[in-house]
Amino acid sequence: MAPSLLHPPSHLSPAAALQLSQQAPSVLQSSPATVSSAPLISLFSTSESPDLWLKYENLLLSCLRTGDEHAAHQCLDRLVARFGEDNERVQALHGLVKEADANNTGALEIVLKQYDAILAENDTNIPVTKRRIALLRSMGRIPEAVASLIQLLDFSPTDPEAWSELADLYLSQGMYPQAIFALEEVLLMAPNAWNMHARLGEVQYMAASATGATDAASQKYLAEALKRFSRSVELCDDYLRGYYGLKLVTTKLIKDPPKPAVKATDLDDFAVPTTSTIEKLNELATEKLSEIVRRYTAKERQWHGYDEAEIAAARELLSQDASQTER
Amino acid sequence: MTWISKTTTFFGLVLLAHACYSAQEHSALQSFRTTSAVNPSSPGTTAVSLPLDISLETLVATAIICFGLALGTPPLRPIQWRVWAGKIEREGEEGFMNADGEVSRDYVGNPFKMLETRPGFVDIRRQKKDFAEWVRSSGEKQEAQI
Amino acid sequence: MAQIPVQTIHRDPQLFYWILAPITVVMVLTGILRHYATVMMATAPKKMDQKTMREQRSLMHGINLRNNYHVLSKRSFNVRRDALTAAFESGAYLKNPDQRGQAPPNPLSDPSAMDGMMGMMKNQMAMIIPNTLIMSWINAFFSGYVIMKLPFPLTIKFKSMLQAGVATRDMDPRWMSSISWYFLCIFGLQSVFNFILGSDNAASQMAAQMNQMGAQGTPQMFGPGVDPDKQFQAEAENLAVIEHYSVLDDVETRLLEGIRA
Repeated sequence: MAPSLLHPPSHLSPAAALQLSQQAPSVLQSSPATVSSAPLISLFSTSESPDLWLKYENLLLSCLRTGDEHAAHQCLDRLVARFGEDNERVQALHGLVKEADANNTGALEIVLKQYDAILAENDTNIPVTKRRIALLRSMGRIPEAVASLIQLLDFSPTDPEAWSELADLYLSQGMYPQAIFALEEVLLMAPNAWNMHARLGEVQYMAASATGATDAASQKYLAEALKRFSRSVELCDDYLRGYYGLKLVTTKLIKDPPKPAVKATDLDDFAVPTTSTIEKLNELATEKLSEIVRRYTAKERQWHGYDEAEIAAARELLSQDASQTER
Repeated sequence: MTWISKTTTFFGLVLLAHACYSAQEHSALQSFRTTSAVNPSSPGTTAVSLPLDISLETLVATAIICFGLALGTPPLRPIQWRVWAGKIEREGEEGFMNADGEVSRDYVGNPFKMLETRPGFVDIRRQKKDFAEWVRSSGEKQEAQI
Repeated sequence: MAQIPVQTIHRDPQLFYWILAPITVVMVLTGILRHYATVMMATAPKKMDQKTMREQRSLMHGINLRNNYHVLSKRSFNVRRDALTAAFESGAYLKNPDQRGQAPPNPLSDPSAMDGMMGMMKNQMAMIIPNTLIMSWINAFFSGYVIMKLPFPLTIKFKSMLQAGVATRDMDPRWMSSISWYFLCIFGLQSVFNFILGSDNAASQMAAQMNQMGAQGTPQMFGPGVDPDKQFQAEAENLAVIEHYSVLDDVETRLLEGIRA
């Protein structure tokens, strides 16, 4: 079944994107080429719905991805015809199409200049600001991207998407404390986002296993990662990613248990739970993971929603674990 | 709606319509009788209440309709956050299909997914490249199979 | 089937074509006209400049921290609290820091606040003028008629609603006067407009009135006449008194108990 056109397609697999963009001719044909906002005509034509424009936007993204430039331009033309060139979102989409069309650095520089020109006119144009940052990042100019992202977050600190992008940028540079800070900001905006809790746990786990982390620091990270994964599982039953992380962290904690000397250094930080709790958590995670893998593989009803790659990773982790216990 | 709930509701509606018709006929007859009575000066006969069987029929019909409608409701959605979230993760779209096999309109998957995919910051050039590579590799795979 | 004797009044059938239909058509057309007049007169929402946006969103940021502090560990919460309270108290996020401590400008003389008032005035005018015109038109030409009989029985209470302008005592409430038809059109054409113009049209005055009532509460937060500095100070105080706990405190025990149970 093809995924719905009403949701942004950026996370889809290539196959799904191809499927979506193959729908382009039928979608473009089934809806009228122009929707006029003139009074008399709109009385007699079918009314427009916000869904239609969302569809065009997502179709545009999929078509750009699969290289179907003709359909992408058609979508863009319709959006421009309806909302005008000056609409912030349309400006961002326009830039996106140009970015996709550009095939050398010079063309990209021109697009960047255009973004700058738009922003000089209107410095609160958030979609275009985001496009500019994404372009800078895509061109490999990470420091500039970070600087403009921070500037964006200074005047709009309630944008979780931007904070999340900042976390990702910092993470790509290996700056773990900064990435953790940004992810915590995301959680402030969306306190119940179970995937963000798991993400923060992952980053903390990475920070703990990074080279150069002192024992005390790595333990602090591990303790919080454990808690974050637990929270993500608490927010979402049978969350594969949460259990996977929980298992990783507890295995690591069991393998080299915390030294009592560094324990309880600071009341502000989370203490590592007792060894028996960690073992119980590890058992629980193993049990749940194997249940998920078993039921997914047996194709039981209501267990189809998981990602194939994630299941494979869980299976590998479980088999590693099994081989270790045999030894 | 299953056929059981449909037939029950329909039966209830028929019953209700019958009760309404009876009540209307009753009141019409009543007023006709009072106006054409031999001695119109006696006002005692005007305030006659509805017969018991009509009121009973109305009540029973309403109960049957309620029952039929309740039979036909779709299964309830989870209201606990973790159960709902778990349903999204475990079942994906299939958990939110109605009887016709269509995903219900308000289903958005994990609503926090966009915090990780960040559609506003999409790197279209990389996605394009990835897609081209995917096409190439799957093409090679197919050739190898042939 | 039993029959109730009915009251009959002999009317000229032409009444229907020359009064009922014109009133209805005129009402529908004014509704549509009003819709487009409002659309044309509506000014685009004013663009916020970066500083205003920064001011408002920083305040929102503080409120967010106050509401959701429990997702943070104590250390990260303390860091944020210290930074935000310091910034709030020193007025770092204010749009124009030099105006701190001055009384907020009078909303009536502030040109930015006048826009909102003018918009409201325009809307009110678009409502009132056509209604007055049509009302006087109907009063001048069609008052005192009974124009139609409703096809269903009604109780006596409806008499005052349906027979405005016709002073009779014994007439069946099913008879209806022209002015009452006009009032029914005002209140009853909502769904017709929804059908013609789409659901968010400006012709439906009921919805507009509801909006005005509902809108009193929300925009006051950043509306004219509110001193942002005071808001920041209050928010800093709110943040300072938070007693921190974290949702992560005993999460693993909760998890173990919850899953076993």
